[in-house]
Amino acid sequence: MMEGILNNYYETGAIILFGVGFVTLLMHNNLIKKIIGMNIMDTAVFLFFISKGYIEDRQAPIVRGVHKGVEGYINPIPTALMLTGIVVAVSMTAFALGLTVKIYEEYGTVDLGQIMKMRGDENDDS
Amino acid sequence: MIARNFPLLTIMILLICSFIMPIVKEAKTFKKLSIISMGASVVLNISTLIYIKYDGSFFYRVGHWDAPWGIELHIGMIEIIIGILFTLVASLVIWYSFYSVDTEIPKEKIRFYYLLINILIASLLGIVYSNDLFNSFVFIEVSTLASCGIVVIKDKKENIKATLKYLILSILGSGLFLMGIAFIYSITGNLNMTFIHNELAEIYIKYQNTILISLALFTVGLGVKSAMFPLHIWLPDAHSNAPSTSSALLSALVLKAFVFMLIKILLRVFSLEIVIQYRVLDLLLILGSIGMIFGSVLAIMQKNIKRVIAYSSVAQMGYIFYGIGLGNSLGLTISIFHIISHALTKSTLFLAVGSMMEQTGKNLSDLKGIGKEMPVTLGIFTIGAFSMVGIPILPGFISKWYFALATIDASKLIYLGVILLSSLLNAVYYFPIIINGYFGEENLKGKVFMSKNKPVKELLPVLILTVGIILVGIFNKGIINAINKSLI
Repeated sequence: MMEGILNNYYETGAIILFGVGFVTLLMHNNLIKKIIGMNIMDTAVFLFFISKGYIEDRQAPIVRGVHKGVEGYINPIPTALMLTGIVVAVSMTAFALGLTVKIYEEYGTVDLGQIMKMRGDENDDS
Repeated sequence: MIARNFPLLTIMILLICSFIMPIVKEAKTFKKLSIISMGASVVLNISTLIYIKYDGSFFYRVGHWDAPWGIELHIGMIEIIIGILFTLVASLVIWYSFYSVDTEIPKEKIRFYYLLINILIASLLGIVYSNDLFNSFVFIEVSTLASCGIVVIKDKKENIKATLKYLILSILGSGLFLMGIAFIYSITGNLNMTFIHNELAEIYIKYQNTILISLALFTVGLGVKSAMFPLHIWLPDAHSNAPSTSSALLSALVLKAFVFMLIKILLRVFSLEIVIQYRVLDLLLILGSIGMIFGSVLAIMQKNIKRVIAYSSVAQMGYIFYGIGLGNSLGLTISIFHIISHALTKSTLFLAVGSMMEQTGKNLSDLKGIGKEMPVTLGIFTIGAFSMVGIPILPGFISKWYFALATIDASKLIYLGVILLSSLLNAVYYFPIIINGYFGEENLKGKVFMSKNKPVKELLPVLILTVGIILVGIFNKGIINAINKSLI
């Protein structure tokens, strides 16, 4: 058990980071901290994915001079996928930050707990 | 042969038209562009349906790259039926929105509203058609952004708060979904659903824990997005604060695409034989049953009519999860049939309520006696509500009937009580609206007959949706057979 965790330290680190991000996203009331938590969570997934594509003693899949065959390079697909993932995460962050600015303009605070207290009278449910 | 290109073409037409909209000057032109692109997609989807009827389902290689390297679309009978449903409902909602958009959305933002609807429908079609997990993930993210966009477009205090709540929980869901892909990729080395399925059939005994983890991540991730019961907390706020056309789209289509994605993952990626060995289906069954009851109980406690209908969505999504959780092919078939029936019914209800709210107010007490002032609109609402409660011939009854049969098939007889109780609870909150609208001397006092009725041309799209509900109810046998055949 312990050996497995230590050997796959990339994955272990990624899962711990994922947990940190997840808890930050859910537990904090401050919107900026929530967005930071979301970024940590996304980064953890990127780390996990890229470590899956890495094979020891092999090079980045860029051909310099001679082509070394399939055995010479790491798996490029996870890296390529995560480029897309990063773009998606960036646009999500931008949108969330934009909404946070709007929230601050309307309510004067970025604390979700305070905002919920200010809610109107018509939304009275659990 | 050319019909094979149509599914990709529909997605492309919708996306390209949406990007043309910002550079068009006249308001009339981009409205036309929106309805024409959506109508064209309906036509293309129907011709694909005819092609599939004769030639069977097919895989489409995007950009002529072969399967494990390139992206594939899988178009079968179920996919195309759902595709037609999505585009048809969306075009009717767009048509309806021409008459209501000016009152609900700031003038300078109307153009972006149609842009977002086009992107939303294109990405939902992408989720339904795609046979590639990562491609689906990208479409899921696009649809999340677009659906947040059509909620926030009203630019009111409450909207922004509701959107932020929705966005944060959606991001959580997508994070879990991506992690699920990471786990499944690490043991199979593929992203194409068919290839993953073939790999898993060989190796699943060796990697039981990994499969369980990724299955749980997919279920919870998509469960957040499609409002599985304890994860539905974003739904009432987002759906009730959005403009009524947006609520119709969100409730009828967006939730359905994610739940369909879940069905696709369970069936196509893992296959039912593997899924049945884990307790994930039991979890879906229990959460679905709880959602069916508590969604209705929470709906009874609401005062705002749109929140009532939003909570009713939670209950109806519960039925769909319940059907998946039964774990037999009849249950899955009826879940997909319920996707169709609920999409038509809920969009009708939201549009009818939207036009009633324009004239009166948003609370239930404002709607007393509305049946005399707007008899046609309340009539449409009544048919939708009857379908939800489960009055025979209407699709809601058909799906409840078959859900009961599937429950007996799976020999889980206790759950029959859940279906019965949930139907009764549905009646508790829908019938008072109708009864107080049409009857009661006090309610009708001082109301002028037909005084607030809308002109027929504005009601036409909703009327067509109502006719659609009745037609789905009448031709249920054919639809259910078609779904059942292509499920296996």
